[in-house]
Amino acid sequence: MEKLSPDWTDATNLLTARRQSRWAAKYAADRFFRFLCLGSIIFLGAVLGAIVLFVSETGFLVFRDVSLWEFFFSSRWDPEHGKYGAAVFIAGTLYLTLVTLLIATPISICVAVFIAEIAPPWLRQWLRTLLDLLVGIPSIVYGYLGATLLIPWIREHTGAPVGDGFLAAAIVLSIMILPTITRITDDALCAVPNEWREANYALGGTTFQMIVRVVLPAAKSGIAAAVILGMARAIGETMAVVMVIGNVAQFGFDLVTPTSVLTSHIVMQILNVDFQSTTNHALYMMAFLLLLISISLIMAIRRLRLKGGQ
Amino acid sequence: MKRTTLWKRMAAAVLSSALLIGAAFTTQHRADAAEVSGKIVIAGSTALLPLTQQAAKEFKKSHPKVKIVVSGSSSIAGPQSVAKGVATIGACDWDATRAVGGFPAYKGLKAYKIAKIPFAVIVNKNNSVDNLSVQQIQDIYEGKITNWKQVGGKDEEIVVINRAKGSGTRVNFEDKIMDGHAIKTSGDNYKEVQKSGDMVNAVSSNPNAIGFVDLAYVKGGIKAVSINGVKATTANAASGKYVFYGYGYLLTKGEAKGADKAFINYILSKKFQNGSLKKLKFIPVK
Amino acid sequence: MNELVSVPSKKMGRFRTRRTINKLMLGLISAVSLSIFSLILALLYTIVRKGLPDIDVHFLVGLPEEIDAGGGIGPFLWNSLYILFLSLFLSLPIGIGAGIFLAEYAPRTRSMEWVRGAIESLASVPSIVFGLFGYALFVEYFQIGVTILGAAVTLALLNLPVLARVTEEAVTAVPSTWREASFALGATKTQTILKTVLPAAARGIVTGVSLVACRAFGESAIILLVGGTSASGEMWDFHLLSEGATLPVHLWYIQSEALVADAQEIAQKTSALLVVIVLLLSFAIRFPLWLTQRKKPR
Repeated sequence: MEKLSPDWTDATNLLTARRQSRWAAKYAADRFFRFLCLGSIIFLGAVLGAIVLFVSETGFLVFRDVSLWEFFFSSRWDPEHGKYGAAVFIAGTLYLTLVTLLIATPISICVAVFIAEIAPPWLRQWLRTLLDLLVGIPSIVYGYLGATLLIPWIREHTGAPVGDGFLAAAIVLSIMILPTITRITDDALCAVPNEWREANYALGGTTFQMIVRVVLPAAKSGIAAAVILGMARAIGETMAVVMVIGNVAQFGFDLVTPTSVLTSHIVMQILNVDFQSTTNHALYMMAFLLLLISISLIMAIRRLRLKGGQ
Repeated sequence: MKRTTLWKRMAAAVLSSALLIGAAFTTQHRADAAEVSGKIVIAGSTALLPLTQQAAKEFKKSHPKVKIVVSGSSSIAGPQSVAKGVATIGACDWDATRAVGGFPAYKGLKAYKIAKIPFAVIVNKNNSVDNLSVQQIQDIYEGKITNWKQVGGKDEEIVVINRAKGSGTRVNFEDKIMDGHAIKTSGDNYKEVQKSGDMVNAVSSNPNAIGFVDLAYVKGGIKAVSINGVKATTANAASGKYVFYGYGYLLTKGEAKGADKAFINYILSKKFQNGSLKKLKFIPVK
Repeated sequence: MNELVSVPSKKMGRFRTRRTINKLMLGLISAVSLSIFSLILALLYTIVRKGLPDIDVHFLVGLPEEIDAGGGIGPFLWNSLYILFLSLFLSLPIGIGAGIFLAEYAPRTRSMEWVRGAIESLASVPSIVFGLFGYALFVEYFQIGVTILGAAVTLALLNLPVLARVTEEAVTAVPSTWREASFALGATKTQTILKTVLPAAARGIVTGVSLVACRAFGESAIILLVGGTSASGEMWDFHLLSEGATLPVHLWYIQSEALVADAQEIAQKTSALLVVIVLLLSFAIRFPLWLTQRKKPR
């Protein structure tokens, strides 16, 4: 009996040692994983920083030849005569985004509510798949449909001679960002706990009251994120917009006059200019502005969301 | 438990793909070593892209050791890429060794004229106007004539369609037709499009539109108008009676050498000029 | 019983109005949604009807023609799939890792808020800007020309911010009680993330991956600049330095400059094919998730 006890202690010691080494390994793995994630974010930051630097470095060269005032507030874009006013494109981008959101947001939220709260379960999965399918359709296909189907339709119904302009672009963009906003809103609605819905019914509320007073307010921040991502896509979209906007450097606030926005103008001109020319630098400056616009819009909305969350 | 199998499967997929990429890298090194001296890189005009791609395809058959990379983005990219050394041959719709259409002259490049390109002023197929004088076309693009009835058509507003600044076709249009008159680039009846195909779409989908494009694209919902009474045909352009044409150029840094020279010679050969080049509706230069 | 029957008629009236409003609004929402969906279906049908019936094996794997009708799109289809695979292979680990860091490790400080905002807004940078960056990096700096490699890496960069953002969102949405339960069982943070949080967030992440994959598949502006407009002219070319034109770029080329006799048909067939592939792609990415979730009793 007495001889057994040392064995026992040995065994216990061995066990502790093993456990300790396993613990050490476990925590090494823990640190290693953390390190991997940190590496990822640093890599991401570095790449994005490099892109911002590259764009702004080339873009700011434009101010060697053009005054700040002219670039931002003159609407005369005529590189052949040394005029580089970008006001048309800046105002156009903001305006187009606004019109697009006005069309797309209510419809998207409506569709999301339908999918998450009203549609029978068998239909739900099909509608979601359909929406996901839409996100992936190349923008060129949307642009082609817009140019061949939508523009003749607009021409017929508004009497505009050309038909290109903000209206066509906003409709095409709305269809393009609808799946994005809808799907993310849908996810946010589904994340609202079922107990809350049941509580609504227990209190005698109707389904519509539940949607307006319980589900939508609860999913507020998710919906804000959805709209931001949709807006992001709308601001950055090029290939479809360029096919339906008309590409003329003039204001088109009446919705059916051919006009231009930052992205469409960049993609129209960037391949056709000399690398060292002021025009090229002006185009990079526009790309940088695009960056600034989306950053400031998103920062503003993040702040709103933070306030709403508290 | 099912989750672990999922992760395992994903890990397996990642691993096998890593192996695959490794394999790709090794084969690629061998391929590069064998053909390092005979590589042609063509960049530039998209209007000449069908021509260069067809030529590259045929050239590869007779010169299996030469590797040809063909791409197209815009005319100005041709001389730029060659000057920078990114490409060995640049394709351009104008002679880039001279200053043309607001672009600087590229010094130190050698230009080879490879094809005559006929262009056409186009209207919708249902438009009753068949003939326009150079003067009338100028007035339409300057914004002096705004209704089709002023040139013998229906009482409809003319929709003027133009290519983007820097397009080779636009450079030739301004050079051969506009002759120094400035195009009116504003108004609710004016728009610009990116590429020849977009121009064709825009004119074929709008009954009141006018535009211009390579003659080769004229089919379907558009028709070419006669200019000064001369029909837009390759024969008339070849003889010089039809005024709206230009030339396609290939540019090299200095005199063309080695594989580049062989390729340009192939394009200039009788076989190619009278064969595929004609089939693509370009006009032989010799 | 009597009390129930003798509800004041005013209250009864309000109840009825509420019910009518409910029915009306739900009907309206359904009508709007269903008409949107029928519009979408009509659009898809327009695209697919014109092209799909004519697609055959020769079109899928055949080489393209410049003059004669009857060419295929084989190399472009292959490039599309190859580049998509490479770009996902590069961007998934980094993007998801960055998203996890933002959600689980990053301190909630003001500076981190800026990083989050920057990533969110960079998810909206027009792809043409990434394309220019890729062009400057691969074509001008490394001088390797327009390649599959350059296109794949640039696409991966485009995907990164979106992936990080979606992952962060999905991971943050996992209830903290789940993490606490995992810690209470003695799991490390890594184990908690890998075994509890990620599986719970899988649905959101997979949705994001599917969005990103489809976006990358349909992207044209970047490929145009970094991948070029032509393919190497042979099938199954694994060579990373071959020209990297993909199906959407080929569609753009066919619509904008091609002189080939059957350009219109090729464009229609290509559009239809793109739609079908996107459908298959989003199924393929979700499939494993469905399998595992089906079996769970819930």
